[in-house]
Amino acid sequence: MQAKPFVYIPGEHEAEKASNSYLMSLIAIIAGLPLPIINLLATLAFFIGNRKGTYFVRWHCTQALLSQLSLLFINSFGFWWTVSIIFSDEKITNHYLAYIFCVIIFNVADFFATIFTAIKTRKGLHIEWFFFGTLTNLICRPKK
Amino acid sequence: MKKIVIQGLILITVFCAALFVLRQIDWMKLFKVENYTQKTEKKLGEQLWKIYKDGAKDSSDTLLINAVDTIISKLCAENNINRSGIKAHLLIKDEVNAFALPGGHLIIYTGLINDCDNQEQLIGVLGHEIAHIQLNHVMEKLIKEVGLSAIISITAGSGGDMLRQVAKMLSSTAFDRRLEREADLKSVDYMINAGINPKPFAIFLSKMAEKKPDKTKYFSWISTHPDSQDRANYILDYIKVRTIKNEQVISSSIWDKIKMNEKDSN
Repeated sequence: MQAKPFVYIPGEHEAEKASNSYLMSLIAIIAGLPLPIINLLATLAFFIGNRKGTYFVRWHCTQALLSQLSLLFINSFGFWWTVSIIFSDEKITNHYLAYIFCVIIFNVADFFATIFTAIKTRKGLHIEWFFFGTLTNLICRPKK
Repeated sequence: MKKIVIQGLILITVFCAALFVLRQIDWMKLFKVENYTQKTEKKLGEQLWKIYKDGAKDSSDTLLINAVDTIISKLCAENNINRSGIKAHLLIKDEVNAFALPGGHLIIYTGLINDCDNQEQLIGVLGHEIAHIQLNHVMEKLIKEVGLSAIISITAGSGGDMLRQVAKMLSSTAFDRRLEREADLKSVDYMINAGINPKPFAIFLSKMAEKKPDKTKYFSWISTHPDSQDRANYILDYIKVRTIKNEQVISSSIWDKIKMNEKDSN
């Protein structure tokens, strides 16, 4: 994760909207929603709402969405594994606990990275995440 | 594009490496999961045993109680089984039945003693139920049938009806075919290790197969253990190549006296 110069200096209103795209993904966690897809849906809703926004806003909405999408896969696997333990004959094993702790570590890392990015973006700084930033650059282009 | 692929691969590698490192830790031991499971099983076993205890009278036949205790002690001693882990209860009931509960409780109905022609048949059935306990079949069945969440809520004291349903299920439904086979063959191993002839156990199963469970309500062990003839056959196949001894755990005179007492009490 690193701060990079953006193609133009975003305005105050843009910085606020871009920062909100990260906060959307956090709202679901703070509200204590157990379903991993909720984070993604919250971010997706914000992304759709801002798809016609400025380049800076669109760029950060896309990065927030992509980072949530990757978490969706590992969280969903952990979620359904847990459900199968509670409601079927699946047993708690070392493999399961290792996976759950791995998921927790990645979620906590994502949580703090999201907060950090939201704060920096609010200040008008452009933060590009490892992999997701590069991917966003490929997907999100400035309007001609 | 190449940059994205490399970064993506690095991210996946980091996740896999973290998972690999975390897998090296024995989480089950760290969080004492086994201890918690054992405590839950013990509590559930005590709750279920209370239901059976309230529904039937304990046998007061000391000869029979001592004989069953001797048989179980012999099987445990010869097979490295912790004797204190098996809590046998003899209840007066006409049903031909014996079954295992969580926490090592083994319920034996006097009807079973009546129906056994010799002590080896009784030992075979008891060995079969001890095998279910030792191989953790009881909890495996419960988790499969009612789920972990229901078991936890029962032990927390918030599932009275569910507890009664579980009690009924354990005494009146069979384990799946794989578990029954495992318990049968384990029982045969127990018997052979203790120098007891397992052939009468196979004969007992054949005898059970000939009886029609729907015509008499008393033969619960048949209805809960289907395919008795098939089971008798694979036991006979299993012992074909084994060296069989013919030791008696209790003397013939005591066995005869027990049978006489049981007949008189009916």
